Amino acid sequence: MDEQTHPYGPSVARLIEEFAQMPGIGRKSAERLAQYVVNMKKSSAASLIQAIDSVKRSIRRCEVCHALTEKEQCDICSDSRRDRTLVCVVEQPKDVISLEASGAFPGTYHVLHGSLSPLNGIGPEKLTINSLIKRIEADGVTELVMATNPTLEGDGTALYISNLLENRGVRITRLARGIASGSVLEFANKEMLADALRGRQAF
Amino acid sequence: MSTDSRKTEGLVIRQVDFSETSRVVTMFTRDFGKISVLAKGAKRLKSSFEAAIDLLTRCEIVFLHKPTSSLDILTEARLLERFRASAHDVNVYYAGLYVAELLGSCSEEFDPYPRWYDAAVTTLSRLQSESDFRLIVLRFELFTLAEMGLLPEFEACQCGRPVMDNQDRWSLWVQQGVLLCSQCRQSEMSTRPLTGGVITLLRRLSQTEIADDFTPAPTIQQLKSIRHLMTALISQTLDQRPKMLAYLKY
Repeated sequence: MDEQTHPYGPSVARLIEEFAQMPGIGRKSAERLAQYVVNMKKSSAASLIQAIDSVKRSIRRCEVCHALTEKEQCDICSDSRRDRTLVCVVEQPKDVISLEASGAFPGTYHVLHGSLSPLNGIGPEKLTINSLIKRIEADGVTELVMATNPTLEGDGTALYISNLLENRGVRITRLARGIASGSVLEFANKEMLADALRGRQAF
Repeated sequence: MSTDSRKTEGLVIRQVDFSETSRVVTMFTRDFGKISVLAKGAKRLKSSFEAAIDLLTRCEIVFLHKPTSSLDILTEARLLERFRASAHDVNVYYAGLYVAELLGSCSEEFDPYPRWYDAAVTTLSRLQSESDFRLIVLRFELFTLAEMGLLPEFEACQCGRPVMDNQDRWSLWVQQGVLLCSQCRQSEMSTRPLTGGVITLLRRLSQTEIADDFTPAPTIQQLKSIRHLMTALISQTLDQRPKMLAYLKY
């Protein structure tokens, strides 16, 4: 069967194409989803369309931290109990969700929407670094926790920001790295062990 | 379709997401030159490649080479060394990426340059351990041009007049890669001005093995002059200005 056509007609072929664009959805899964939509009640299909439309209309970036929200400010930024002088810098909005799930962070967040990747054409101007600098001055931020990914680009981004904030009186820390709790040394790779040894702390 | 398993050592110079969990990784290897391999499941936390395929990591790899045009498959990667940029100077990070850009842009797939690979490994190691990145990068650029067969002769003008270590005005005809004395230079030639002292320094930098210690102390003016020249020569080689030069601060 031609990928551009379908026995039911071009509208189903188009739907399959759209589903196949989604992450984790291959051609077979796209066909199954399209079949499901074909068999849906009209009211359920309308509800799905409305849900997608609503998300696309209402989701925006928080004006303070650039996480995704339906309001001008996200729940974390508008929560008066959160410490605004402590800011955790992350690459993506989904990182905020992961860190919040830990329940261990009392401060607020700042989402960069990427990492510094000059070889791929992503320079500092494409991230929300200027907004972070303004926020540090406006909110009297005293500590930035760099929670960028532990990759070369993530570390490079953290390094760029820490260089930028040198002599501004902001304490810059980064997430600890090394052996995962509950694992055993035998299965840790040498990189994990080296990180753990470098970041050892008093007992 | 037959495939054969190949083992070598390489540096990761580029990676692009291929699917939710897989990546296409471009490596500059010691035995096969530049290769692109599909690393299935590389983005999973418990991937068999662990941290081995982050940018600029040096690792030992096994890959399945396919004789057709389809991508080779990475089957094993063992981390040998990870590039750690200095905690104080972002230029070291940029310099490391510049090494990756040169390796990627100046090479063709399956065209091995073992000496160039060794020079890149030494350069990355020096960037992490020494305080001034500028001469380290310059030496790698000169080595790259030499490996490409595009390094100009820094001995004499094309007319035979030898370069003396003094303030005489010399020029380098970038397009042809030849030195010109003031009498041979013509106005229609696109040239870069150089002093005898700068040419002598370039000659010594290019003749010293990258692994050898050589720490001259050029003046700021000499460094600027060399930087302009190297940018012109590398841009001429690549047919475009390298991206990373916009970030490196000299």
